[in-house]
Amino acid sequence: MIAAAVMERPYGERGGRVALASKKLSASEIGKHAFIWLILFFSFFPLYVMLNISFKTNAQFNLNPLNFVFPLHFENWAIAWNLVKDYIFNTVFVAMSAVALTFCFTIPAAFFFARYKAPGSTALWYFFLILMLMPGVANLIPLFMVMKNLHLLNSLFALIILGIAGAQVVQIYILRNFIEEIPKDLFDAAEIDGAGPIRQIINIVIPMSGSIVSTLAILQFIGVWNDFIMPMVLIRDDKLLTLAAGLVKLDGEYVKLWGQMMAGYTISSIPLVLIFVFTMRLFVKGLSSGAVKG
Amino acid sequence: MIARKISVQRLPAYWYIYFLALPSVVAVSLFAYFPAASGMYHAFFRWNGDYINEFISFTNFSEAVHDPILWYGFGVIALLVAFNIVKMIPSIITAIVINRLKSEKSAYFYKVLFVVPMIIPGMVTLLIWKFFYDPNAGLFNMLLKGTGVLPLMCKVDSFFHWGIFINGVNPIWLGDANLVLPSVIFWGFPWVGVVGVLIYLAGLQNIEKSIYEAADLDGITSFKKLWYIELPLILSQVRINLVMMIIGTLQDYGLFLVLFGKEGGPNGKAMVPGLYMYVNAFVQQRAGYACAIGILLFLFILILTELNNRFVRIDK
Repeated sequence: MIAAAVMERPYGERGGRVALASKKLSASEIGKHAFIWLILFFSFFPLYVMLNISFKTNAQFNLNPLNFVFPLHFENWAIAWNLVKDYIFNTVFVAMSAVALTFCFTIPAAFFFARYKAPGSTALWYFFLILMLMPGVANLIPLFMVMKNLHLLNSLFALIILGIAGAQVVQIYILRNFIEEIPKDLFDAAEIDGAGPIRQIINIVIPMSGSIVSTLAILQFIGVWNDFIMPMVLIRDDKLLTLAAGLVKLDGEYVKLWGQMMAGYTISSIPLVLIFVFTMRLFVKGLSSGAVKG
Repeated sequence: MIARKISVQRLPAYWYIYFLALPSVVAVSLFAYFPAASGMYHAFFRWNGDYINEFISFTNFSEAVHDPILWYGFGVIALLVAFNIVKMIPSIITAIVINRLKSEKSAYFYKVLFVVPMIIPGMVTLLIWKFFYDPNAGLFNMLLKGTGVLPLMCKVDSFFHWGIFINGVNPIWLGDANLVLPSVIFWGFPWVGVVGVLIYLAGLQNIEKSIYEAADLDGITSFKKLWYIELPLILSQVRINLVMMIIGTLQDYGLFLVLFGKEGGPNGKAMVPGLYMYVNAFVQQRAGYACAIGILLFLFILILTELNNRFVRIDK
């Protein structure tokens, strides 16, 4: 349904107007490019400001808010690194663990729904689908209590568990659709050769689902990276905060040395930028298909 | 793939397949269904989240229905939704302009560029914007002073006697009861959400080349192209985004929590329902009441989702 509507077509295959393309830029083409650059300018402006101020002292900033001025104060970055590095390590730990463990849950479950029509499987399917309607906002307090009763307050494991549980429905939904596209003969042949479900998952499903799994992993990673209400509620110990929650804390406590703050923001952005650089195409694809399910 | 049918008779040989789904079922039961059920249960209690736990039936709900702060919050949401609809337009226009580019290469190039601001962590973007609004160091006040807009606004102010802009005083955008909501509404200019742009682009790419060619032969203006070809074809995407936006506006209070904290901003001007729920639960120790607010929010969202499903179905 929705997923099909937003499916990305590979570049070059757009039902586009290749035939109409001419080498010469017409006035209207230039107008379009100018419009896009104007929008891009405003979208990138905050990033420019962040990077620019990250090299300044407050005095330099007050004299010259928007230009690059020398000397560049790299020590801002060193100080900021010490402020945010714990948060970054915590977040990477939570995000990696959550992403890896989630797939141990969702791939077998998606395989179950895609491959077998057993008694009760339709009911189970609706058991998952109904959760898509349930907004997270009402669950905040009870979840806090559950974690409290499990003695997981102030522990990164609570965040990992929440990451795993939160991603189940969407991932099972998308992975099921994907596994259903795999030719049935492959599984039948494997079964004749004596491969059980686990073998079939390891030898057939996983090797074939690299791109969809990476897309889902990236989306989940971004989700964990950006989440802050749950960490703020569950984590008391400053050393255990994840990044977004930690930045809120720094923003609240820190004497406003803008240079160091901005350097901290920049450092916080670098890991996601790195992932983006290496997985650009998956990113574009994942954002347009996965966001709809949000 | 056609799923394999396992009949009840063959179940003894295949019982183990249920274990494939078991971990997910357990995870979802414990951390999604149980909290939801517990929240519904506790909405009927005077509960401080701990030892006070007393059944009071519908008192929480009747209190919520008559709570002026909650209704004010829903009013703020209605205002924000109205402006967010306007704020959807830049994304639609950007997607259409990108799609109309003749060069496939630059279309892809722009698409990638638009993703970049998106991968900056949301909290970083939020805090940079907060910095823009800072009364002393913020760029807004610098810009308004530098361009002479602020003195002008002060003159207009003294003419109408608003008392908002005063000569020689920097407006405290996020700390002034009169300026809070306008600041939040302007937040995130130019309001081009990359997710929105990519979704619209995916819809636009389904437009057949021949339709454009026919339109060109008929000498159609580009505004008519927009009105008769492009907008009708992305209508379902616009609807999806509209519903997602409304649901998101109803339930996301992260921005408000970071900017305005537990007081909900100056004079509680920015106390949205989600933030009010949070404050009741974690500041005022009224977890039962907070659960009731959560359920009201949930009902709102459910009704909106259902309305949307009806709309989309009629259209198709």
